[in-house]
Amino acid sequence: MSKGEFAIIGTGEVPCGQYPDRTEFETAYTIAKMAVADAGINVKDVGAVLCAQHIMSGGIVNDYNTEAVFGRIPEAIGAKNCKITCMTSSGGASSFSIRKTAEGILHSGETDTVLILHAQRFSQFKMDEMARYFAIAGSDCEWEVPYGMTYNSLAAMITKAYMDITGTTIEQVAAVAVACRKWACLQPNAMFNKKEITVEKVLSSKMVAYPLTSLMCNVLADGGSAYIMTTAEKARKVCKKPAYILSDASDYSHRTITRAKVKGFEGLGTFLKPIADKAFERAGLGPKDMDIFELYGSYPVIELILMDALGLVEPGKSGELVASGATSPGGKYPTTTNGEALSFGHTGTGVGFGLFVEAVRQLQGKAGKAQVPGAKFIIENTGGGAFMDCHFTVLGNEIPR
Amino acid sequence: MGIKEFLGLSDDDVKKPLPIPTKWSKPFWDAAKQHKLVLKKCKKCGNIDHPPYLYCTNCGSEDHEWIEAKGKAKLYTYAINVYMVPFPFWDDMPYVVALVELDEGVTMTSNIVECDHDKLKKDMELEVIFDDVSPEITLPKWRPVKG
Repeated sequence: MSKGEFAIIGTGEVPCGQYPDRTEFETAYTIAKMAVADAGINVKDVGAVLCAQHIMSGGIVNDYNTEAVFGRIPEAIGAKNCKITCMTSSGGASSFSIRKTAEGILHSGETDTVLILHAQRFSQFKMDEMARYFAIAGSDCEWEVPYGMTYNSLAAMITKAYMDITGTTIEQVAAVAVACRKWACLQPNAMFNKKEITVEKVLSSKMVAYPLTSLMCNVLADGGSAYIMTTAEKARKVCKKPAYILSDASDYSHRTITRAKVKGFEGLGTFLKPIADKAFERAGLGPKDMDIFELYGSYPVIELILMDALGLVEPGKSGELVASGATSPGGKYPTTTNGEALSFGHTGTGVGFGLFVEAVRQLQGKAGKAQVPGAKFIIENTGGGAFMDCHFTVLGNEIPR
Repeated sequence: MGIKEFLGLSDDDVKKPLPIPTKWSKPFWDAAKQHKLVLKKCKKCGNIDHPPYLYCTNCGSEDHEWIEAKGKAKLYTYAINVYMVPFPFWDDMPYVVALVELDEGVTMTSNIVECDHDKLKKDMELEVIFDDVSPEITLPKWRPVKG
């Protein structure tokens, strides 16, 4: 991929939260039409429709996945010139793998316009079904699940290790949740957008997996987002302010956390830094050039580890940075401007989509109350499994030479 | 009253997920049943893998032998689960999930047992114990070295 070869020209999103009566199909249908309308194109321009897999299997979900795989969406929205459909999944990293699939399709020249979407409805499942699924998603069935491992305990273990190694306090960890909530309060589609929270409130909420309290854990939610991707050439013709993809960089580490490529959680940052460096280098930009940091944490500690890797502060000092308010609205380093999984809501494979679509809105000047004035460059990341991989992407509304 | 009675759950709802040994992991579980902790060592490059897979995660070779571990480890990190766990583990709360580093250099996900939770400390010395959780399966777990 060369710099600024592709661009996003429009997005669509539904409110995130508990919407048991809103089927995945309705969500997909709604956001697809919104994205087409927002991009200002004719739906007949859409030549490929890519859907991310609805995570968790069973009953009605299979119906949605099956419908999406076998071409329901293009038919429903009237994309009569659609030539290619597919479904992609790499868990939390799906928003990246699906975009790379789209890039391949655009490269092929078969079409110059791709619709990409994700729809999720967790509320059809019982709490225990979700707890079981998310134990499996983050852990090995033979070697970890029998010990009562959960996603929350995995994040709790990483938090404990990170605090031990860096001297970060639990108050600083809690500050991430406070900052995310502040952003969510500026977002009409966020699940928790009514009231800000304090560090005291986060720490006094119910203990879930020591040292994590409930407000430091994400909440599974129903939601969906979509966008239209095209070539930079076409974007310039049809869109006043496209969001260009300037660069990306990836790496994969492990399936089970005990097999991580770089040993120890102090090593997680060591694993991430070269990926971020490569993404910056390929864009010809550095961390100080970024106006916004859309980091897929899902738990506060992961946001801190990601920030350590970006080189804004000395590794291990990101907790101080967040506690200072630098990542909150009005701060020097606006981070997770949609409120992230912690406050926007965790839509399974959709968390990365939500952050990506928010990055595009920011670059298009369509972020409403959360708009960071004059935002020009954004770094975004996503990853899946038990922190198995990481993909950084740099976006901009101009292409630096 | 347990979670099963409290919520009127079925036996299946609270049945603990147990390991289903594979062809290549069976020697580990067979040894655990005999209260022995064994690790898979690659014959080609000497790498010790845990969990044991069909392949060596270092060189990819399938040629291996099983060695008996000393059963000593250090606590690397832990979490204490006190809420929001799958039903089969509900009545065990609070329980400790941990990553322990064995003397042999591998890391294992397990439980820390027989330990006051406020005494848990990074790098504390641990020794293996064996929990016979079913007639077929024994789970190696860890407790502080006494004395």
